[in-house]
Amino acid sequence: MFAYIVRRVLQMIPTLFGVMLLVFVLFNVFGGDPSLVLAGKHLTAESLANIRAQLGLDKSQSAQFLIFVKQVLTLDFGTSWSTQQPVSDIIGSRIGPSLLLTGSMLVVDLLIAIPLAATVAYFRRGLTDRIVTICCTIAMSVSALVYIIAGQYWLAYKFGWFPVSGWSASAWHNLWYYVPLPMLMGLMVSLGPDIRFYRSFFIEELGNDYVRTARAKGLSERVVMLKHVLRNALIPVVTTVMMSLPYLLIGALVLETFFSIPGMGNAVVLAVNNSDFPIIKAITVYIALATMVFNLLADLIYKLIDPRVQLT
Amino acid sequence: MNQQVQQDTLLSIRNLNVRFKQEDAEPFHALKSINLDIPKNATVALVGESGSGKSVTSMAIMQLLPQMQTLIDPASQILFEGRNLLDVHGAELRRLRGKDIAMIFQEPMSSLNPVFTVGDQIVETLMLHAKLSRSAAAKRALELLIEVGLPDPEKKIKAYPHELSGGQQQRVMIAIAIACEPKLLIADEPTTALDVTIQKQILELIAKLQAKRGMSVLFITHDLGLVGEFADKVVVMRHGEIREAGDVQQIFENPQNAYTKALLACRPQLEQRPLRLPVIDDFMKPGGFVSAGERQRGYQADDEIVLDVQGLAKSFDIRQGLFGKKQFHAVKDVSFKLARGKTLGIVGESGSGKTTVGLTLVRLHQATGGKALFEGKDLLAMSPKEFHAYKRRIQIIFQNPYASLNPRFTVEQILAEPMMLHGIGNNAAERQKMAQELLDRVGLPARSLVKYPHEFSGGQRQRIAIARCLTMKPEVLICDESVSALDVSVQAQVLNLLQDLQDEFKLSYLFISHDLAVVKHISDQVLVMNKGEVVEQGDSDAIYRQPKESYTRRLLDSIPQGWTGGTPALA
Amino acid sequence: MTSTVQAAPAMTGTPEVHRGFWALGWRRLKRDKVAMISLVVVGAFLALAVAGWFNIIGDGWRKEVAIPYAAPSWLMQSAEETLPPAEEDTTSAKSSAPIVTMTQAEDPIGKEVALARQNMGKYASVETPLRETLPFGADLRGRDVIVKTIKGTSTSVFVGIFGALFTLLLGTVLGAISGYFGGKVDDFLNWFYSVFTSVPDMLLLLSFAAVAGRGIKTIIIVMALTSWTGTYRLVRAEYLKLKNREFVQAASAIGASDARRIFVHILPNISHLLLVQFSLLTVSLIKYEAILSFLGFGVGVTQVSLGSMLAEAPAELVQGVWWQMVAVTIAMSLLVTAFSLLIDGLRDAFDPKANK
Repeated sequence: MFAYIVRRVLQMIPTLFGVMLLVFVLFNVFGGDPSLVLAGKHLTAESLANIRAQLGLDKSQSAQFLIFVKQVLTLDFGTSWSTQQPVSDIIGSRIGPSLLLTGSMLVVDLLIAIPLAATVAYFRRGLTDRIVTICCTIAMSVSALVYIIAGQYWLAYKFGWFPVSGWSASAWHNLWYYVPLPMLMGLMVSLGPDIRFYRSFFIEELGNDYVRTARAKGLSERVVMLKHVLRNALIPVVTTVMMSLPYLLIGALVLETFFSIPGMGNAVVLAVNNSDFPIIKAITVYIALATMVFNLLADLIYKLIDPRVQLT
Repeated sequence: MNQQVQQDTLLSIRNLNVRFKQEDAEPFHALKSINLDIPKNATVALVGESGSGKSVTSMAIMQLLPQMQTLIDPASQILFEGRNLLDVHGAELRRLRGKDIAMIFQEPMSSLNPVFTVGDQIVETLMLHAKLSRSAAAKRALELLIEVGLPDPEKKIKAYPHELSGGQQQRVMIAIAIACEPKLLIADEPTTALDVTIQKQILELIAKLQAKRGMSVLFITHDLGLVGEFADKVVVMRHGEIREAGDVQQIFENPQNAYTKALLACRPQLEQRPLRLPVIDDFMKPGGFVSAGERQRGYQADDEIVLDVQGLAKSFDIRQGLFGKKQFHAVKDVSFKLARGKTLGIVGESGSGKTTVGLTLVRLHQATGGKALFEGKDLLAMSPKEFHAYKRRIQIIFQNPYASLNPRFTVEQILAEPMMLHGIGNNAAERQKMAQELLDRVGLPARSLVKYPHEFSGGQRQRIAIARCLTMKPEVLICDESVSALDVSVQAQVLNLLQDLQDEFKLSYLFISHDLAVVKHISDQVLVMNKGEVVEQGDSDAIYRQPKESYTRRLLDSIPQGWTGGTPALA
Repeated sequence: MTSTVQAAPAMTGTPEVHRGFWALGWRRLKRDKVAMISLVVVGAFLALAVAGWFNIIGDGWRKEVAIPYAAPSWLMQSAEETLPPAEEDTTSAKSSAPIVTMTQAEDPIGKEVALARQNMGKYASVETPLRETLPFGADLRGRDVIVKTIKGTSTSVFVGIFGALFTLLLGTVLGAISGYFGGKVDDFLNWFYSVFTSVPDMLLLLSFAAVAGRGIKTIIIVMALTSWTGTYRLVRAEYLKLKNREFVQAASAIGASDARRIFVHILPNISHLLLVQFSLLTVSLIKYEAILSFLGFGVGVTQVSLGSMLAEAPAELVQGVWWQMVAVTIAMSLLVTAFSLLIDGLRDAFDPKANK
């Protein structure tokens, strides 16, 4: 087990390096010269030269890359080009709201999708199955944008059931007041595909031989489904959930933009609008790192719940 | 076992008529009004080839057939203790399953739930039907595991299914089945997926349990020879009908039905070696089968050696630890000489390395040592480019007929491809003509050219595979378990075809199989392999009559004897 | 010599029609009513899109033919009866009659004014009057919503299909090489794959968009660069699996080259998976394009797509104007629903075991 973890951590290094390379090539090589943007109103040849020296843009590409690597290793990405705040502060303050929104969305999604998928798989090929599948398909075909725009307009603006947008300083208040509408909109988008996805896991398990053995033993359909099939189907479900955890950090980009939630996603959109590269670079690297760590965790948990897995 | 006391009937099948719905055809008539009686305290063997309906019959008893597609005629009856099982549903049916009637299946690995321990799965049945508490059930489970002969039962009871071998898994399945003292045990091809030595052990276990508990056993198999040792009654099925049913002695010594006679005769025997194996059609003719004499086999001193293999070795690397690698030696130092126009058989159980030998010789695996001399040149040492010219001269036929033909190619494309690759035939028309001739040679109609593989049966696909090899006019043909996946009667046809081709074209065969009888029938020399090494080597008659090594003797002992008359001693 | 053997059970009695894999699948698809309806709908959209690309329809979407935010005609039926029709106004003479305080002779610029009045008819542009209503209303600039929707759908479909094609090509080639050859090539491509999958899709998309700017070509390339990973994984897994199948080993034994094995033997056996993958990608890219264009990073300002139309929706809704958003929603939902149901049908038709 230990050898496996060590090997995986070692494998993360080239991947992280690759991400840094990607980010660097993207922003430093293709991204264009930001010094004009930063100089803003005080555009003189001198200030331009100053800025370039500050950002290290007067050095060679490889030297710049080394600077970037150092930044990553020390977790210091400098200051934002648009707000002049330290990047780490910005990120630190924005993770919370993102997690609050996406975390609660994940929990509610699982609580609804898994039982529904299991029920539908149980009645597969029947009318219920067809109807639910088609409903899910229609639900996922409507663009997220439409849900949000319509939801915001009707439920918040017209009926006043929810606030149109906003966020507060108290996590508790946020959870009960500001989160529900965006969460509802997010669920409209995610439930459809999730139900269909989990349903396919259950159906695949129902086709296995051990189900026939369980029936031959005289177990009721209920026990077969809830004990034998569920336990096996949980394996791919848990794996899928674990793999989606890193995405919680990036937040729901579109939701945050619409509902003015000061999360990571919102920060990215603002940063892209403002060509604020330090923020984008930092967020990308952090998320990549988190993804790798979560993937490793997912594999370890997979080993815990599936006795067949040998970690080589 | 073989008691002659008058029995009551435990289960009686009357007019069972089963149809399966098909996508765009008439429902498939799987069982055509069959009648079958299972006496109390007896073993009934239900024998048939694939598609005969034997498994459908057994699944129908416990209503395990897929509900959506199955149509059972209302006049059908399955009478068990006075009730028609087809009318039993819900809780009553569930009480019956696992308690009064229990079932074990062919693939024990997939039939056990992979995420629960072996002990838990036995305990589940006990708690359900015997209403034991968990601790009492756990104790009983251990006793059962000891009874079925699972080695190391205290440790194994906490193991997961994938940690056990195939034979051990099947013992666990048996333990689950007998846990609640069923009156009838249905065993659906329980040993087909197991090695021959393990098969013998499982059969003996089932016979022992049957005698001890006085339960009835319905044993389903495709191998008639298997049942002679322990069955009381034999029922022979074909195409959904019962062809013959009777006492085991009567079936083996005095079969009435032509199909039964054919089934008995077309298995290769150990004692004799006919010129041609009899096939079903031979018995269906009005005159019946007329034996044509025997064939002598063996290497002669003046035989030309076409392939000389010396010290062949193949190891695989398995990762271990942080950076380490372990070596798995699949083949260790195998040497043999293959004579022109003769057959060398390689026989062994799974994991013996016999298939690896074949694959290494055609360079589908990279050998890690040894030489294979063909016309003086070492095939294993050549560069890939050099070897390409030799590819047409040494060919291979695989085991799985369902996977060895490209599903998207027509038969014509399959046959034309090797010709195109080796420059045989000057244009498409010539190649088509040659393909047609080859199809005729292997016994398939010319219009097969435009068909796709899925339109053929297993035996027919193997013929196409053989034809594909023949397009290149090879000198050496490696048959890697090429008849193992085929029904007994089809196997006989393909073996006859291979023999005819060898006689006509002087082909040299390397025949790899786990089936000792088949190997003895077709081989001149035999190589016995175990765990990568050659255990014994020699002329096939000599080895079978006087095996020198203990492993060879164990292998030969495991071959089902068929009916030997009287009450054979249990091991 | 053995006589002809028994045919496989299902063959007896059927006429000599030999069905390959695609023919069998097509027959199965035809039996699925929902899938066939979806096929027709998708086909209609595709035809519409192609017509739009070649500017057969939707060409005049930029024309400002109505008053801003003109309501749909079916909505304004009742209103029209109560309101008097607007008057046509070809000359400004009537309403702009000047107040006369001097005679022409007294007027210092009298001569020039008289000349100008004579020429007025010559230079006045004949404007068709801006319409009050359109079949489905107008947007902020008075453009016809229906025409705009057609053009927008056409653009979105164009982006979706070509993006999917590029993605499929990239993912398939890389996946095939990786799965088939294994070894160092596989290690390298896997590293590449893990780099791209460590960054969430939207983040990667936005990062690319940030440096690449707007425009249809850019967005296609950007989406291909982010979405290839799913196809790569699928194709690689299939090649790993099929590489060791007996029919591929047989191809090797008879002397087929690597290239032949990759393209002639294995590739046709996954073509149905690629079809499903292509459809999935198209749907997903259409959705992504909408979000990107909405956020301002997608198609350029002179182009219209479903996303860019949705971008105008929040502002419109506040003013009580909803017709553009409804038109876009109907078009997009219909397209994506039909496509998704078609994908389900395709999966069922070509791999029936998967959904039982």
